[in-house]
Amino acid sequence: MTDRTLDILIDEVVLGLADDADVARVEDMAARDPAIASRLERARARFAPLDDTADELALPDGFWSRVEGDLDAGGIEAAPTSAEVVDLSAVRRAMTRWRGAALGSIAAAILLAMTLGWSVMTTAEPSVIAVLLNDNGEAIAVVEGRPDNTTLVTLLEQAQVPSERVMQVWTKPDEDGPPVSLGLLASGRSETLVIEGLPAPNPQQLYEITVEPAGGSPTNLPTGPILGKGLAKQPVI
Amino acid sequence: MLGVARRMLRRVDLAEDAVQEALVLIWRRAHQFDPERGSARGWVYTILRNRCLTLLRREDREVATEPEAFDRAADGAVVNQAFDRLGTTSDLRRCLEGLDKQTRQAILSSYVLGHSHGEIAGRMEAPLGSVKSWVRRGLGKLRACLS
Repeated sequence: MTDRTLDILIDEVVLGLADDADVARVEDMAARDPAIASRLERARARFAPLDDTADELALPDGFWSRVEGDLDAGGIEAAPTSAEVVDLSAVRRAMTRWRGAALGSIAAAILLAMTLGWSVMTTAEPSVIAVLLNDNGEAIAVVEGRPDNTTLVTLLEQAQVPSERVMQVWTKPDEDGPPVSLGLLASGRSETLVIEGLPAPNPQQLYEITVEPAGGSPTNLPTGPILGKGLAKQPVI
Repeated sequence: MLGVARRMLRRVDLAEDAVQEALVLIWRRAHQFDPERGSARGWVYTILRNRCLTLLRREDREVATEPEAFDRAADGAVVNQAFDRLGTTSDLRRCLEGLDKQTRQAILSSYVLGHSHGEIAGRMEAPLGSVKSWVRRGLGKLRACLS
């Protein structure tokens, strides 16, 4: 296949115009060849701004219990386009324990963080991961804290923040000390925050997101309602 | 996420199903996510869009669609709204503006509404082969413009 043909095929996969066989072929090539994987990712990134143009809709009440039900029941099978075999038992066990424990969001965050493992397993520098849960035990964000205090905040659902308010991300580098601001999610979307002068994040470090007045908390301490919080965990490498 | 799904599936109940199924897949495949290959956000939306496309194609086979249900005006409005909402400084917007209207419409219909080549051809009352070649030429121009 020529480069040009492959570029077109990749674009058609991203747009959703390719048939199942072509999608499987491109995903298979991307899995084997990092150069093709990065072409696929660049193609996705070209069209990703269109995802942000959809209406923002709130999920209905009880939605997360349906998701949990699916996880418990085994739910839908992995998509046939994925050739990889996924071991689901660990996730199911953790989810069951999560619900069974009912000890609050922090315990659940630790369990989930361990289970997720995320892909920092494959990166050289150790990081910590926290899954932030709200009062109902719903996961609202995943936080990855890097040793250089770059913090990747991935929101899992569009937060409903009133106008004139902003989401602020906090951590407690010292368990007994005050929370320290890592920055604002001014765009209301997932962001990478960079801060200097903090020690590298520890396992067990608390992360939380609160709703603060525009410009951030006036006291430099959390004042508003907590959207979600969770303890970090260092993935097993 | 729900907004993207509803735009493709048109029905909010189907959109909720798609988001639910996508979230389950995301939990299960979390260990496959590789930040060196791209953003978490992109990864999440790719899984969601693929789920929607699967449901769309399945629906096409299983649900008889009344001709009236092809609401071209509404589809056109959704596509135009997506284009209008792209930031005025967005490179994607600038490059899409450089395409002729039909090609732009075809590319946006496929990404935003999940339309297939055949559906686009049907709605534009154009031969399937022409639509395929417009889209391919348009994608080539977009890639050159955005790189």
